[in-house]
Amino acid sequence: MHTSTVLSYEAKSGDMPLVAQAAKSNSERKEAVELGAVVVVPAKEDFAAMSLAAININRAPSSPAAATEDSRPFYSSRVPILGNDILLSWMDLVRKLGVGSLWLTSSSTDQGVPCSDLAGFARQGLDQLLVIKLKSYAEMDLADLVRFHCESRNPVTEAQDARGQLGVCLLDHLALHAGGEKHEFSCGASESERMPYQFRGYAKRIMSATERQELVGDALTAACAMRPLGTEIREQVWIGEGAKLAASVRVIGPAYIGDRTIVRSGATVGPFASVEHDCVVDCGTTVERSTVLPRTYLAPGLLIRHQLVDGGYVEDLTCGIVADLRPAGLGSRIQRRETRQQAFSEANVFARATSASALGASASDFARSSTTSQPWLQVKL
Amino acid sequence: MKASAGTVLPFPCASRSAGRRALRKELLRALRASGSPVIVDFSDCGTLNHEDIDLMLKCAAQVAGRDTQLLFVSGSRATRVLLDVTRVSSLVPVFNSVTEALAYPQTGAASDAEDFLASQGQEP
Repeated sequence: MHTSTVLSYEAKSGDMPLVAQAAKSNSERKEAVELGAVVVVPAKEDFAAMSLAAININRAPSSPAAATEDSRPFYSSRVPILGNDILLSWMDLVRKLGVGSLWLTSSSTDQGVPCSDLAGFARQGLDQLLVIKLKSYAEMDLADLVRFHCESRNPVTEAQDARGQLGVCLLDHLALHAGGEKHEFSCGASESERMPYQFRGYAKRIMSATERQELVGDALTAACAMRPLGTEIREQVWIGEGAKLAASVRVIGPAYIGDRTIVRSGATVGPFASVEHDCVVDCGTTVERSTVLPRTYLAPGLLIRHQLVDGGYVEDLTCGIVADLRPAGLGSRIQRRETRQQAFSEANVFARATSASALGASASDFARSSTTSQPWLQVKL
Repeated sequence: MKASAGTVLPFPCASRSAGRRALRKELLRALRASGSPVIVDFSDCGTLNHEDIDLMLKCAAQVAGRDTQLLFVSGSRATRVLLDVTRVSSLVPVFNSVTEALAYPQTGAASDAEDFLASQGQEP
């Protein structure tokens, strides 16, 4: 899989001094450090989990299994937040580190990179590999993580905040080689070999509906670095391209209405509300302190408060319970014509990130290969 | 079921096939009889469809402007979420269990007595 890879970074004078110097102090034998990066995004298992959650929603509410399953998130980490793709924000951070390209792969969010693949990276001569599981948004200085990793001299450094792991870890060549000798999925080192990197900056777990909503609120009020993707028509009110709002619509800031979303007469959006792209909010419906995920239709007269709506499902942010809006016609997924048969396919998942910059394979190639375990796609940054 | 503070009836949701018509009839009849609070229990409803929401609104309309008090028991948190989303919970008080509904201070003759005493300027 990695025979033709060009994934490497060679530090040059003035180009990436931090990594180069850190490597020097760590080991005098090297002038340059080859640093690679991998982003692990949700795979089919997660989409299958979404379907399972949907099935369980329709079970009798008294069933304990249903109560457990109903609390599961049913959206992916690639669903935009105020129009922003979290993958792209991580790619920006990796680019700032001076890495020219990264590998995208799909895997269950609880799993990492297969050890055999880690060994593959090691064989290419990589000294360090940054692995980012796409489950959090963090305003992390990756250069500081690299510096810490080099100073601590542990095979694996894992970023975490007060609430636990953030899904970001840095492996050195020892961990990469060790990975090749193991057969299970892991980061290539035992728990004892992992050095925690305490991150004290801004971070939110995007697979948690509650933290996702907190991130929306923070981004709308400039409490974090993320900004809504649209035009700020007045203070703390952003509207995306092609959005249509009836004259009687009330938008109470902070609020965001995504691209091509239609908000009909008498509806209210805000405060602290986000309606993502291609949604329809029908007459008189109120969306307050909530998020409506892309391509969602909301029927007239509803009250969406402290909730996350994704197509025909609503998740209450206070209790985590998911309810099905579809039997009553209260909400549904708006299918795009060209993707009616393949909503949520990996081809769509990766299309935006790789549209102009895939080096080794196209997004469609990726989609085909994704039926096998652990597909890979190299993306130029 | 006749409770001390009102009548408890199961909600004849559309997903229930057996005896739904009879339950619906009984519910609407109970709502027409003034004076006695009616507690409608959604515990047996897995999900709600548009017919159920129509019937809920019909129930609320039935008691509007009358002495009959209507209370809903959601039975599950998912149903509670749907009652909130449809704003039904702003029209009719919603409780998590029948016990809670029966303990509702405004339920039944007790509240009528309190209102009467208050109007007479006496301590309840």
